[in-house]
Amino acid sequence: MSEPAATEAAAAPAVPPAPTEPAASVENTAPVENTAPAENTAAAEPAAPPPPPTADPAQTYIAADLVEGNSPLLSCKFDPSGRFVFAGAQDNSIRRWQLDGAKHTALTGAHDSWVRSLAFDATGELLISGGYDGRLVWWAATDEQPTPLRIVDRAHDGWIRAITTSPDGKTLATVGNDNLVKLWSTLDGRLLQVLAGHTGRVYTVAFHPSTGTLFSGDIKGFVKRWDLATAKETAQFDATPLWKYDGGQFVDFGGVRSLTVSGDGALVAAGGTTDASNPLGAVHKPIVIVFDANTGEKQQTHRAKEGFDGSIWGLRFHPAGFLLAASGGGGGGKLLFFHTAEPNEFFKFDLPALARDMDLHPNLLDVAVPMHDAHLRIARMAAKPA
Amino acid sequence: MIGRHPHKNVLGLRWQPAFGGRAAVLSALRLAGTFCLIATLAATASANTEALHARIDQLVAARMPTEAAPPATDSEFVRRIYLDLTGCIPSTAEARAFIDSADSGKRTALIDRLLASPQYARRMQVFFDLMWMERRPETNVPNAEWAEYLRASFAAGKPYDQLVREILSADGTDPALRPAMKFYLDRGGDQNLVTRDIGRLFLGRDLQCAQCHDHPLIDDYKQEHYYGLLAYFNRSSIFTDKANQKFIADKADGEVTFKSVFLDEQPRSTPPRLPDGPMPEEPKFNAGEEYVVAPADGVRPVPKYSRRSKLAPELTSAERRDFRRNVVNRLWAMMFGRGLVDPVDLHHSENPPSHPELLDLLADEFAGASFDVRWLLRELALTVTYQRASDHPSIDPNQLPPQSYCVALLKPLSPEQLGWSVLEATGVSASYRAGVQAEIDGDTKLAHILASDEARQRRGIEFAERRFFERLAPSLGEFINLFGGPPGSPAPGFQATVHQALFFDNGGTVRSWLAPSGSNLLARAAALPDSSAQVEEIYLTVLTRRPDIEERTLAVDALNARPAAERPAALEELAWALVASAEFRLNH
Amino acid sequence: MKCTYACQTAEHLVARRRFLGLAGASAMAGAGVLASPLGAFVRPAAAAELQSKQKRILMVYLAGGLSQLESWDPKPGTDTGGPFRAIPTSVPGIHISELLPQTARQMHRLTIVRGVNINENDHGRGSYIMHTGRVPDPSNEYPHLGSVAARCLSVENDPLPGYIHITPGGGGGLSSSDAAFLGPRYASVTLGGGQPPQNTVRPDAVTEAADLSRQAMRRRVNDHFARRRRTAETEAYTQTYDQAAELMKRRELFDVTKEPATDAERYGSHDFGRHCLLARRLLENGVTFVKVSHSNYDTHNENFDFHLEQLGEFDQAFSTLVADLADRGLWDSTLLVVNSEFGRTPGINQYCGRDHWGTAWSVVLGGTGVKLGGAYGATNHNGTEVKDRQVNGAQLFHTYLQAVGLDSTETFDVSGRPLPMADPAFGPIKELLA
Repeated sequence: MSEPAATEAAAAPAVPPAPTEPAASVENTAPVENTAPAENTAAAEPAAPPPPPTADPAQTYIAADLVEGNSPLLSCKFDPSGRFVFAGAQDNSIRRWQLDGAKHTALTGAHDSWVRSLAFDATGELLISGGYDGRLVWWAATDEQPTPLRIVDRAHDGWIRAITTSPDGKTLATVGNDNLVKLWSTLDGRLLQVLAGHTGRVYTVAFHPSTGTLFSGDIKGFVKRWDLATAKETAQFDATPLWKYDGGQFVDFGGVRSLTVSGDGALVAAGGTTDASNPLGAVHKPIVIVFDANTGEKQQTHRAKEGFDGSIWGLRFHPAGFLLAASGGGGGGKLLFFHTAEPNEFFKFDLPALARDMDLHPNLLDVAVPMHDAHLRIARMAAKPA
Repeated sequence: MIGRHPHKNVLGLRWQPAFGGRAAVLSALRLAGTFCLIATLAATASANTEALHARIDQLVAARMPTEAAPPATDSEFVRRIYLDLTGCIPSTAEARAFIDSADSGKRTALIDRLLASPQYARRMQVFFDLMWMERRPETNVPNAEWAEYLRASFAAGKPYDQLVREILSADGTDPALRPAMKFYLDRGGDQNLVTRDIGRLFLGRDLQCAQCHDHPLIDDYKQEHYYGLLAYFNRSSIFTDKANQKFIADKADGEVTFKSVFLDEQPRSTPPRLPDGPMPEEPKFNAGEEYVVAPADGVRPVPKYSRRSKLAPELTSAERRDFRRNVVNRLWAMMFGRGLVDPVDLHHSENPPSHPELLDLLADEFAGASFDVRWLLRELALTVTYQRASDHPSIDPNQLPPQSYCVALLKPLSPEQLGWSVLEATGVSASYRAGVQAEIDGDTKLAHILASDEARQRRGIEFAERRFFERLAPSLGEFINLFGGPPGSPAPGFQATVHQALFFDNGGTVRSWLAPSGSNLLARAAALPDSSAQVEEIYLTVLTRRPDIEERTLAVDALNARPAAERPAALEELAWALVASAEFRLNH
Repeated sequence: MKCTYACQTAEHLVARRRFLGLAGASAMAGAGVLASPLGAFVRPAAAAELQSKQKRILMVYLAGGLSQLESWDPKPGTDTGGPFRAIPTSVPGIHISELLPQTARQMHRLTIVRGVNINENDHGRGSYIMHTGRVPDPSNEYPHLGSVAARCLSVENDPLPGYIHITPGGGGGLSSSDAAFLGPRYASVTLGGGQPPQNTVRPDAVTEAADLSRQAMRRRVNDHFARRRRTAETEAYTQTYDQAAELMKRRELFDVTKEPATDAERYGSHDFGRHCLLARRLLENGVTFVKVSHSNYDTHNENFDFHLEQLGEFDQAFSTLVADLADRGLWDSTLLVVNSEFGRTPGINQYCGRDHWGTAWSVVLGGTGVKLGGAYGATNHNGTEVKDRQVNGAQLFHTYLQAVGLDSTETFDVSGRPLPMADPAFGPIKELLA
């Protein structure tokens, strides 16, 4: 699916313009050559949408390094317009950086615990945050100083572990420590549906792009598929290699820590840990299991070539035809790139610190990774400018 | 005094093992009693040429506060000497033969026969393995290889100092000595653990408290002693080659510094140095010239000067009295139930030996005899002190200080001694021995080779013992769990617990061993013609003695009072009661 | 009972004190008549109290190092506080972690000691300090609190082991080193997985008659031997068979399924729940010291998820146990100690974990002899140090002993050496004692 080289310079509409001079705390900003003068598109008639840019994992480098204060970061998300990146921090705030200029704004005053998950409505004007305080908060995402617009307290009993919006942006799905999946109206925050059935804490949730179904993954290694129209569970995929009950430490460990559906709706990938010989000591290996979204048949089990320790905290199917995974753990932080046909990665990029989450920019080149050292780093899957 | 190995006994008769005049002297003296012995020995004292065991008795007698107990009976002696020299009680036949023998030299003959047996080497292996490895789990050196290395060393009569040198200098390069690395390797090469244990086990000094400061309670143990020992190892580590084989590797650099946590002082440094030993001269090399084989990835470095390699010769040298005193003290404790220095790892000026001249004598004589362990144990076993009874006709033994040796001390059986003795008493061992022998005999080629000459016969006996041990040793697991201490610690003193009693009461193991089968104890007993013979067989087999009249009467009456159909059960009850008794539990 | 042991053996001396303390007292176990060998060890004021009630101790041990920040001393909203919040308790002004909602309702029966500093971050050494009140010293092993309690609080001729340890998993057995110089009689008896001690059921093949017959024979053989040679060792050994017989008679005591099913539900259908219920059963039936371990809290990785899971179990079972002991009239004769080998670091590491931290953490007390319903001592705003009324393991040990009416300044006489019951360099925390 590679594009002819000539079109590489034609950027997708949402790419942030490259700043002409570096701003204070941002290094290696978007290279100038990616934003070609708009000669090809400026005065043209609306033609076929330009093909997406080609991500080239082998070229990955750290394109941006954003930091504010010294609270570790544990979650991140780009807004749909691609102008901002948001990150949850361990001081209970949400950080917002404007990618153009790296201006930081803190979103505070609504959570009194950590924000683990972020989502947007279709317009990108509304940001929703889900916290370990069980609270859902709506924010005016693009305001100069975003403030909370709505707070739903006790949206879950215990932590909210993941939230996401439907393809049309109208429905918000949330999951948490109360073993429940809940559906809300993105617009007005009404609770629409409660889906019960998980027997353990629910870690992840992802909508199918087209079939009106939802997937959720729990600590026991089960991925459930729900039909939204009937609010019923229609399938359960077995990702139990991602789970272990450790008899020596007397604890459930692992779970489906990352979950993603491919753009064409054909595949579901569940990421987490396996071979957990010492959960309390962070000795466990990263793993991804890829299922057929329809039948639930396992298509592939991905492992890293080297035996480093870690957990897959972020997963995305990239339109260019690979699966991107972010690992963090005893072996450090890594980005791993897989082809579904092969079990091992075809490329691995070492991150300077542990990854706890991952998001892909609408430009399909930039990968945001929030890190324990309070930095949010953006890795770019393209050649570094000379 | 470092004397020559004496060859003449008190009557000027040249002794030879297992025969002759010494036994006669002993026999006569036993009749005459303790005081006569002292008088005789004193009268003929020509200290230089007296046998060591005689001099031991003199020195012990000189400090006795009161009259000593008479010699142990034959039953007591045979059980004691078998346990001490072979780690297990005698078989029924061996016991009966000894007790009923009229040979006046039988005790000495038995001592010599046991010392020459493969069971002696096995006993020494188990004893020293427990002392040196304290039941640590097997990590880098397989237990079986280490055990065989020790057993073969003792079987061959390897001098003790040579054995220690091998253990402290093995680095893996000599294939025959790879198991000897266990002391270091299965402590993970942990410098502090190795330092502490070498101090305790080879010098009789527990220096652990001297790691952070001079020992707070023992003036003789200083921090510089601790680090002087550690300095032999500070440049060493475990090296794994590409074939995943382990070695010990040394570097050419690295210093040891220390300071007391109590004092505000500058850190001091020390080269490798035994406590209060001479300050060594360490060679200096130009940069780039320190190695014979330079360190590189996957390459074991070999420096021109290795600190670790100096430990073995220095520790075992003639200058180190503490090395000699430590081992003879531990061997004394093994035989007599208490070290002359007690506890055995706390030699210091405020914990002097109960018999200082005796300890020095033993240390010097042992060195003079080229550290021959068999020889020393023989001398100890030949003493009147060792062969004394553990009860006293007129004095309550509990009123006597244990270090007076007026009576023999009770020694609890180690978990291994207890387990092997139960296997022997119940008849399991005999059945396994027979099985092993049948295998060997059935292998005609092997049988022919082994029978063809004396040397081969001897090796055949050893081979049979090794196969027997490998088969049956795993059965000791529960005994070790219940009666042994936690791994990695010195063996605890006697521990009596409710779990041990429950094991004997209700556990399946001992019951299954007792249950009549083949020609084991209960099967044999059941086949005997009358109650009295049955009672005697059981007493002789389990307690290594015949019942006295009162016991015999009681037991026989009890058997006869029950219906014939219950005889097997009644026999089992009797056998069980003897196995579970305090008399069986202890070496007395 | 003329004593004929060697005067210098440990067993003898400890036994002799016992004998002297016994003179004139009846030896009926559990009948409320105090036949306790306390003699010299009892504080005069407590002697009368002890006459009426046997004291016992319950230790709940959270193995691996419970995080005080996720339990007894939360610091929400600080750089060290983590994501969990604090909740009010039944004591106004005292807040604990939201992970312990049911325990919060029992706070009036408990006291949190928040200023513990043992200056130790190693599991083995921390555990030793918290069990013995002593800094590890290889030339001197000291007995556990449980062994001291078994020795000093048990009724004479008590057939039950005085120190019982209920652990999750693992085989049963005993830890002979626990009792140190007090001797194996006072060692802990471990009920691994809450199972009764091994070998407590007479096999079918051995009828009761056969057993009586063989035990009688064994005793005769022992008596015969004792005529010649009797020592503390032979006594100890022969006595274990009597103890075994008594233990077997009372085997049902270890069967937690004999408790009502409704109780089992209240405690929770997991191991810790069952073990707490078993502890209640044992304490009610007169066992002197029961330790229940909960495992594992050594959360170097994902501290918050693990504590969520472990404390979820702990909260229900523990609070139920406290309430039951109070409701059933045992609270004022039972000392409760909740501890670990140390706490956890205020700093959160990169695996979202917390590491070992002995410098500023918490221990919880309850029951008899201590002031209840408060917090003693305090840490600073984010838990990085103790700022008020710091205490160490030795002081806590003294306090436990005093709380059950023992004089912690007393000594045991072992082979002529006086070995203090508790570290003589420290004393009890007087403000904590009721």
